Amino acid sequence: MKLLIVDDSSMMRMTIEQHLSDYDLEIVGTAGNGKEALELLKETKPDVITLDITMPEMDGLECLDEIMKIDPSVKVMVITALSDKLTGLKALKKGAREYLYKPVTPNELKEGFDLLLNRK
Amino acid sequence: MSNSEEQFEKTVNIFIDSIDNYFTKLTQSPVETFAPFVKKPEELLLRECTGMIGIAGVKKGLVYISGDLAMYEELIKDYVGYQSPKENDMLDMAGELSNVVAGNVREVYGDSFLISVPIVFKGKPDNLRFPDNVPIYVIPFKWRSYQAYMVVGIQ
Repeated sequence: MKLLIVDDSSMMRMTIEQHLSDYDLEIVGTAGNGKEALELLKETKPDVITLDITMPEMDGLECLDEIMKIDPSVKVMVITALSDKLTGLKALKKGAREYLYKPVTPNELKEGFDLLLNRK
Repeated sequence: MSNSEEQFEKTVNIFIDSIDNYFTKLTQSPVETFAPFVKKPEELLLRECTGMIGIAGVKKGLVYISGDLAMYEELIKDYVGYQSPKENDMLDMAGELSNVVAGNVREVYGDSFLISVPIVFKGKPDNLRFPDNVPIYVIPFKWRSYQAYMVVGIQ
């Protein structure tokens, strides 16, 4: 299964990569903003994307709209610091399958991924 | 208690809860906070490395968290699991910390509390300006052995 990690923080990208190393995932790319993410989506065709919201160039919600136009089957897990309920609902309505609030622990990340990957 | 004192206490507590949640949840080490105080824009307190977030929408202003590189280095080793971080990584971690602390405040203020992407800098920036007539609250805190400041200046 191919994974694309999108977050403007290089340390968060590394955190996600480190804590998901037990899963059978091929990390096909990492992006620091929505525009880069869309380019990598077209190039690498991931099955799963972790997506931050607050990013430069193009934020995660706008990026999510574009992702769904390009490939609505891709499983998107939003991982963001924006902890209000409305933003979470908005992301789910746009097509995200899971939503995690930062700060996210390794266990929360793994539990979220278990849910995401088992969901049909 | 006057209205402005109540406002001061409320704002300060929201941000203290947010930063304490961050460190406690990720490192199992809570922060110790010290008596907050109000500061003038020209007397701002900074340590080695700062992550700053602009606020717009229902509230306007800035929030920054300033700590020494060693604090961010330990945070990276502990949370990220990366044992040899470089200075750029520590600056990135400073930005991420400020992003999460400010973003989590939306649980209280709602989605009209808009936050910018983080701006990070080492030392003193050329241009750090809070909006006029905004009270600036300084919240000194300590995580493990590291002293740091969280500074909140919002309407």
